[in-house]
Amino acid sequence: MANELIDFTLVSIALLGIGIYGLAVKRNFIRMLFAIEIIINAANLNLVAFGRFLPHSGGQTLALFSIAIAAAEVAVGLSLIIVAYRMYQNIDIEDFRSLKG
Amino acid sequence: MLEITSTPLVIMAILGTVGIIIPIISIARKEQGSNSFYAVIAFAALIVSVGYVGYQFINDNVAPAALFSEDVLVDDAFGGLFAIAMLLVALFTTVGSITYMRKHNSPAVYYSLILLATIGMVLVAYSTDLVMLFVAWELMSLPTYILVGFIKKNPSSNEAALKYFLFGALSSAIIVYGISIAYGLTGSTNIGEVIQGYSTLDPSLLSLALLSVGMFIAGFGFKMGLVPFHQWLPDTYEGAPPPIAALLAAGTKKVGFAAAIRVIVLGIVVLNLDWTLALGILAVMTMTIGNIAAIMQKSLTRMLAYSSIAHAGYILIGLAVAPYSSLGLQGSLYHILNHAVMKGMAFIAIAGIVTTLAVTNLDKLQGLGRRMPITALALVISLFALAGVPPLSGFWSKLMLFGSALDAGSSLWWAPWLAIFGVLNSALSLAYYAWIARKMYFEGETEKRVKESKPIIAVMIFSMIFLIGFGVYPEPLMQFVEFATPVISLDLMP
Repeated sequence: MANELIDFTLVSIALLGIGIYGLAVKRNFIRMLFAIEIIINAANLNLVAFGRFLPHSGGQTLALFSIAIAAAEVAVGLSLIIVAYRMYQNIDIEDFRSLKG
Repeated sequence: MLEITSTPLVIMAILGTVGIIIPIISIARKEQGSNSFYAVIAFAALIVSVGYVGYQFINDNVAPAALFSEDVLVDDAFGGLFAIAMLLVALFTTVGSITYMRKHNSPAVYYSLILLATIGMVLVAYSTDLVMLFVAWELMSLPTYILVGFIKKNPSSNEAALKYFLFGALSSAIIVYGISIAYGLTGSTNIGEVIQGYSTLDPSLLSLALLSVGMFIAGFGFKMGLVPFHQWLPDTYEGAPPPIAALLAAGTKKVGFAAAIRVIVLGIVVLNLDWTLALGILAVMTMTIGNIAAIMQKSLTRMLAYSSIAHAGYILIGLAVAPYSSLGLQGSLYHILNHAVMKGMAFIAIAGIVTTLAVTNLDKLQGLGRRMPITALALVISLFALAGVPPLSGFWSKLMLFGSALDAGSSLWWAPWLAIFGVLNSALSLAYYAWIARKMYFEGETEKRVKESKPIIAVMIFSMIFLIGFGVYPEPLMQFVEFATPVISLDLMP
């Protein structure tokens, strides 16, 4: 059966795990940004799947909002990364060490 | 339905229109330079908004603090208190930026982003629906990511923005995941219906409900700077332009508490589990680690950043004992209002020091009391208010917070320990605040007085009057806070 709620939820939990793994292990800034996007998409999948099995469309609406906001967030993040790349010629998070105390 | 004249909608209309018009004017005038012109427009919009909130309060058009509403926004006194605090912080930031932005490009975009972030901050406090809460949360966050990294040529500004962005984006991802679980369990995104759904939940699904509340605590905790989630905070405050550090420390941090009170505290009451102990442990950890780390700092900005972590711990005391003492939430709201003024003032004072002397290192602050007398006096008053020295406003809110912990002691055996840790931490913080004051007044050679920036002096004088005035005569502020506090008790059901 491909249409059961549990299938969608399991995929969503798997995506959440992949996102957290990516954040913990990767040190390239764009990879970390993608890991965060994967977590947001896991939540979106959850919302749409739950909305499919509920009598109203609140979940889909929230998923649409969240997709649009995630796109805006990526735009801001990438612009910050471009500025960093022009300064350091590198986007490895280990190299950002000027602030500490 | 909300009326068209209700406070959140009017504030959104005023600030949104002006926020969009400012960049259009700058394109139409084809020039970049006139910084104070845009600042005056932004200032006027914020003053009109504060005036409108005050007018609604005076005319009794504001509902007493409502816990829930069927709508996505509610025009209640709880939101009104946060609206006043956030608009004040935005005013401080705008006025404090005038001198700072003279040396930097594109002031129109800068002030417009401050206004847009302010709309987000105000709307979070008024939200009674998780969708609205999330959208407002992002409306607050996205402009601040850009504002932190606004000085494009400065590596530390960019680094601060990247760190802030990474943790901020992670926190919003976690919040969406928490919302998705809450929606799946209860079939609604309205906070009242979610909490009602939790109270009638099948016991086998309780662990999922706990997971969603845990995700809300983590997500909001990143912005509040609670201790396991605080690593980004000192770096970001140090690298950001100092007026923006004021906006972050005094503004966005408090918004995390607004969201937390709307969602977490009520959720805890209904889930009927001993979550208060978890919040109490978080509170003790946050204030202790914040204060101990603050002692070891060499930069004034970083020290204040750690002290703002410690203050998140004090505010959390009130949230932890909220179900057992009516003073708990009241103390939290009071301290939030006071801390917004104290921390905003301290960071704007730093902005003044940075723009005139270009130092933040503590050793270089010697003799500041003679070089910049008004700024130094204001900084000392704000630091003593942060420590909770009696004739200042910060004392009363701390008294109320620690009093609520003692008050809850009759039902929670560990609650008085929160008050003991709070008092010990305040004493510890007074030590390093007094050390700064000594450096500024009693060390260093006599140097000539330098010219202080007038807008910053205006902010300093306003906040000194606020802190001393409400410190000597706190009754009006206390009544206002009492009116704005939602009533929470253990037998409460929506």
